[in-house]
Amino acid sequence: MAAANEKITADAIEATEFMELSRKYRVTGVPKTIVNETIEIMGGLPEKMFVRQALDMPDEISS
Amino acid sequence: MGLLSPQDEATLKEHLSPITLPVQLVLFTQAFGGSESGDVAKEVLNEIASLNDKVTVVEKSFVLDTEDKAKYKVDKAPAIVILSDGIDTRMRMYGAPTGYEFVGLVEAIIVAGTGKIDLDPETMKWIQAVDKPTHIQVFSTPT
Repeated sequence: MAAANEKITADAIEATEFMELSRKYRVTGVPKTIVNETIEIMGGLPEKMFVRQALDMPDEISS
Repeated sequence: MGLLSPQDEATLKEHLSPITLPVQLVLFTQAFGGSESGDVAKEVLNEIASLNDKVTVVEKSFVLDTEDKAKYKVDKAPAIVILSDGIDTRMRMYGAPTGYEFVGLVEAIIVAGTGKIDLDPETMKWIQAVDKPTHIQVFSTPT
């Protein structure tokens, strides 16, 4: 995502190396994604679902 | 002997072969007071760089190289800043890139080295429409 838009930065963080950060964001399982300090995404998700959640887009209504 | 088996090296070399743009892996480590993961990160990056002449490793001191640290907004070490032909891709890795994190690093290098992003066109539209600073932090472990 970061490579596709200059407004986006992406950090991959090794949770056991940076324990203070892991505690701050209550990382109890991985992967865990934090977006702008507020959005939390647990686990790995399919591409579109992940991006929609990360960008705080409304849920898609499936027909 | 490297970190990878000869077979894994051959596989990785092939994965990296589409790279056409220079990729700089700027590695910030802390020599004194830092963890040994900095040495591991250095070893991993050098191994990758040895398999493709477009990939280079640039070593920086987390303590002394304050200008670069500020330029790339690095606030912890070890840190890997990925540049594509000298341009910041805004992708960072913090910690030693081993296990599953190694896979992520290789994928990021390929994106930086090819300029190609393997995402669905609709997803790309959503991403490209983002107009406010967005900071994504993904926590993972090597296994």
